[in-house]
Amino acid sequence: MRNALLVASREYVDNARTKGFWIGILVLPIILVISVQVPRFLEKNATPTRNYILVDHSKNLESVVQKTMDDAYQLQVIEELATYASEHMMLPQGTNMPDLESVPAGGIAGMLQEFMNANPEVVEQFIAAGGLSTALNAMEGLLKEDAPEFEAPRRKFQQVSLPSGVASTLQGRELADALTPWLKGDRTLDGERAGEDLFALIEIPADVLGEGKVQYWAVNLADSDLRKKVERSLNQEVRRLEYEKRGMDSGAVREVERASIGLTSLDPRKEAGEEEVSLADEIRQYAPIGFVYFLWIAIMQVASMLLNNTIEEKSNRIIEVLLSSVTAWELMAGKLLGIAGIGLTLVTAWILSMLGILWYFGGQGTEITTQLLDVVLGHGLLPAFAVYFVLGYFLYASIFLAIGSICNTLKESQNFMGPIMMIMMVPLLTMMFIPKDPNGTLATFLSWVPIYTPFVMMNRAAADPPLRDLIGTTVLLIVTNIGMLWLCGRIFRTGILRTGQPPKFRELFRWLRSSA
Amino acid sequence: MSDFALELHGLTKRYGEFTAVQDFSLAVPKGSIYGFLGPNGAGKTTTLRMVLDIVEPSSGSMTILGAPSALHVREKIGYLPEEKGLYKKMKAWGTIAYFASLKGMSRKAAKARAYELLERYGLADFADSRIEALSKGMSQKVQVLASIAHSPEFVILDEPFSGLDPVNQQVMEEVIRDMASEGATILFSTHVMAHAERICDRIVLLAQGKKIFDGTIAEAKETMPTRVVLDADVDASALQKLPGVIAVEPHVVDGLERGWEILLSEDAEPERLLQECFSSGIALRAYDHRPPTLHDVFVHLVGDDAREAKKR
Repeated sequence: MRNALLVASREYVDNARTKGFWIGILVLPIILVISVQVPRFLEKNATPTRNYILVDHSKNLESVVQKTMDDAYQLQVIEELATYASEHMMLPQGTNMPDLESVPAGGIAGMLQEFMNANPEVVEQFIAAGGLSTALNAMEGLLKEDAPEFEAPRRKFQQVSLPSGVASTLQGRELADALTPWLKGDRTLDGERAGEDLFALIEIPADVLGEGKVQYWAVNLADSDLRKKVERSLNQEVRRLEYEKRGMDSGAVREVERASIGLTSLDPRKEAGEEEVSLADEIRQYAPIGFVYFLWIAIMQVASMLLNNTIEEKSNRIIEVLLSSVTAWELMAGKLLGIAGIGLTLVTAWILSMLGILWYFGGQGTEITTQLLDVVLGHGLLPAFAVYFVLGYFLYASIFLAIGSICNTLKESQNFMGPIMMIMMVPLLTMMFIPKDPNGTLATFLSWVPIYTPFVMMNRAAADPPLRDLIGTTVLLIVTNIGMLWLCGRIFRTGILRTGQPPKFRELFRWLRSSA
Repeated sequence: MSDFALELHGLTKRYGEFTAVQDFSLAVPKGSIYGFLGPNGAGKTTTLRMVLDIVEPSSGSMTILGAPSALHVREKIGYLPEEKGLYKKMKAWGTIAYFASLKGMSRKAAKARAYELLERYGLADFADSRIEALSKGMSQKVQVLASIAHSPEFVILDEPFSGLDPVNQQVMEEVIRDMASEGATILFSTHVMAHAERICDRIVLLAQGKKIFDGTIAEAKETMPTRVVLDADVDASALQKLPGVIAVEPHVVDGLERGWEILLSEDAEPERLLQECFSSGIALRAYDHRPPTLHDVFVHLVGDDAREAKKR
């Protein structure tokens, strides 16, 4: 045992000094930060303002479209303002952040949507009250000292006038042909939007309320936001006109259209009075996916370390000196334990840095972080993660160790790693589906396959799997672990001193049978 | 306690059809320096691996420091394998200390011992360097020191001289003599006869898995007929007629023929041959009679086997 521990501590120290280990520790938090920040950045900056030309031969609809676009922009401003306020305004004394347990499922976006449904006039009210400048004035004094200047968002859609030289009397294909150089990007706009591209041409025919069709000309067909927006706005107007034609009160119709009922998700397992499914419940449901991902990456990374340094020892022939000092079992145990230590260090560092990131982006102090922590830690997810990490690690590590022992180069080992990687992909492919039916057939079946047990059971951890599955699969996993250690130990002992071609499967089988 | 550090009885190792070592017996007296000689592929490394219980023999038995397996007494054994390799990222002292601690030394004692050895053999300045920063010779020295840091009673060195420059080969000889003077038993394999001749008390010669000689160096040389080298303007047949001559062969130095090499029968006197040459009127340009070297013995005993690899 002393020797195994000596080997283990050397493995730990040696691997903790490698660049790979530190890159592994740093990469995951960096990816986390990027995956939060990049979509936010892209949403703000990646799509340019879409400039469009609207030619309205019917003379009545241009203003309708314009108003829709303006309202949409004001809503954008309100949203941006809300984010700005939540980030940079001081909370009045005695006010707390909303409790995650009381935020309805769907989160902040859902809340905003609900608010909009209940208060359809919000944009009109906002404009009527004086718009952005009034809002900013009202906020003054309530902002934190280091708050940056509010940046108004860019318009998503901007109407521009026809370039000089293109007559507004042109129609259909002729109009489109005249504008093709701009639509194709060969020519850019002048005037206010000088240098920018023209995104689309919308032509409303004179008889739009009869047989005529609105034409939408654009080169980029993938981005259909503008098209949909125009379509919806025109349809709404057409319907309004239709109601009026039939003598109905368009104001009343509008109110009727906005009538809606509320829908609340409830969970019968929760106590009376608190059954409403909260954001916390939702996070709890999906948090295991994150843990499965951590588990997979961590196990893969450290098991590969084991593979690499076993091959290194073998090709260096250090193995011979080692085996004159320790037995093959001690060597194997030492390596498994040492790398297990590396793995535990790695996941601990990840979890700590994840909490650090939460804390940093949590903004107003640690309140929200503490709440998230409660959610993530409260349901026994962390102990489950620790157990499944250890069991999963030993299972895969012993396989990788055996492969390392029979290969002389990394290249040789890739022949074995190919199939193993394919098998290992399964939990990654299923991890998004399992929370939707955590105790269903697929989840239950995969849980009972020992090589998948750690990942799939982790995936199900928040859904209270039946005790039979919980205990049964764990016992099976432990038994498999013991069997695998024994099996791989035999391969390791014979393989580690072998040089030349890796053995054929038939030969491996012989090693297992021989009692030598 | 036995007077022998190692006794092998009929050790045999087969890999399928191939017999690497056949019925090998040996007794290594305590405190001796034993040379383990043989051409490439003779089975030396396999034998040493069996001695260390890294490889299990197909049949035969052994006693090593009174135990049936080297693993029982591993903290008393030092081993330097033929192919040298170390952890590249470890420091020189750390490497020595690690292997010493695997052999049962406390970490503190192992560290002190590592620095002491590095100093003693001229590597003090490199104690804190990583192995990858050392030259091949230096890292090999570190490996040798790592194998003996725990002051083993019995040291097994597989080709300790290969890859070393002449100066470091001398240092290696020094290391071996130092250990012997401290009472350790040393068994080392080599195919460089000069080293064996200088430092061994006894040698064992292995060819194609079989022992073909075991004894002192003086005894080894006695297996050789007396040889005389002479240079004269005569042909072989004239020399062949002289009394006591068994065979006459061209004497080749650096690929060029430089006179004749004459093998004499056991009772013949080399001085007698010189007289015979004078009386037969053979004009000698050179005459050299020197005792055979171990190199000559080696070539004599295994020359043909070594030239041609045979499938046994």
